[in-house]
Amino acid sequence: MSESLRESLDLSLFWEYRFILFKGLSMSLGVFACAAALALAGGLVAALMRVSRYRALRWTGTVHVEVSRNSPDYIMVVWVHFVLPLLLGALIGKRLEFNPFVSALIALGFVYSGYFAETFRAGIEAVPRGQIEAGRGLGMSERLIMWRLILPQVVRRMLPESVNQFISLFKATSIVSLIAVPDLMYQVSMVSAQEMRPLPLYTGAAVTYFAVVCGASYLLQRLSGRWRAKVFA
Amino acid sequence: MNNWDRLVWNQREVFLAGFQTTLQICAVAFFWAIVIGLLLCLVRMYVRPVKPVAVLLIEFFRATPILVQLLWVNYVWPELFGWPNTFFAAACVALAVQSAGYLAETFRGAIEAIPRGHLEAASSLGMSPWHAFARITLPQVLLDAAPSIGNQFTVIVKSSALVSVIAVPDLMFQSQKLVNKWYEPIEILTATAAIYIAFIFLVSMALNWLAGSVRRRYGLGAN
Repeated sequence: MSESLRESLDLSLFWEYRFILFKGLSMSLGVFACAAALALAGGLVAALMRVSRYRALRWTGTVHVEVSRNSPDYIMVVWVHFVLPLLLGALIGKRLEFNPFVSALIALGFVYSGYFAETFRAGIEAVPRGQIEAGRGLGMSERLIMWRLILPQVVRRMLPESVNQFISLFKATSIVSLIAVPDLMYQVSMVSAQEMRPLPLYTGAAVTYFAVVCGASYLLQRLSGRWRAKVFA
Repeated sequence: MNNWDRLVWNQREVFLAGFQTTLQICAVAFFWAIVIGLLLCLVRMYVRPVKPVAVLLIEFFRATPILVQLLWVNYVWPELFGWPNTFFAAACVALAVQSAGYLAETFRGAIEAIPRGHLEAASSLGMSPWHAFARITLPQVLLDAAPSIGNQFTVIVKSSALVSVIAVPDLMFQSQKLVNKWYEPIEILTATAAIYIAFIFLVSMALNWLAGSVRRRYGLGAN
């Protein structure tokens, strides 16, 4: 017991492979950044659709949000990687294959766009109606009202909640290792298959994720709090 | 349509067996998530000397991805503690502790929201602290946290798709086995995704309704 405990706390094997693992971590961060951009853009579009005045658009937005929020990340990643290229390929009559990185982005971007859409929508609906009416009274077009009146307020309002969603998106990026995107978890599995010593490696991976997530959430909370205080004043 | 018949409908027993395993894992993990979450929360709030340990555990469970925890529990715990010795148990533990971390924080918020007067009234009526906790605090906490508890179940179902990675024969595992047998991913994987999405959608609707109606019945607002 104490022997194995000492071995698990001894992360020298993890340290030995630090360059590969660091490369994996930067890949994780890369997947996270691209997927987050995609999810934000998709979420904004879906939210605008949900508050649109056309019923068809509202419906499409709702279906998008319900499907993406109710699908497990892993299922989506696998489906996008193995099924979507075949479907698209049949559509254009050519054999198609996705790079794992691309599949990961599409899948995670899709799933998290649903969460962001709800955050955006809550923010949009929280803007008092009087402001929109005032905008109309001043002769602003609907688009101008959206971009100059509503969205700037939405962005500030949704900051705290979106911090949580960014964190869970970063945690979800560990899944992409399963379709062979060389992220941190992938590198850890490879090295542990080579060395046959899962104990220090997986513990090290868990500790790394823990450190990154805790550090990032602390920093983001502080930054967003300060930024909100400054802009709201 | 022929393909759908052959690959999905005729394999319904395989899918069903997988779905059953998924349900079992989720139910066991959900139960233990509530128990462990409540314990962690109580230790954090009332047992001074080990508070840092509880805080560290809660933060660790919350801040590490479920895949990492799953592999960590599956590969590291048996070497450290000699347990869990089956994949099924490892999957349940990993899913349970992940949700326990979130639930512990939910419970803490709910306990802190109870007005002090309630406990003072209980002690002036001569209720022992334990009695007051069981009869005054706990029911209110559970009612207050009901929506989050229900939400946590859908989180467990979503994460449970990952247990196929450690060879637990759940729905995802069975469908991947079928894919590997015939190399026809379109129908099988689409059906699997549809089952998961429909199931999670229905469960979250049902749990929301349940939480809302229970709370209304005991005089709490809809949210």
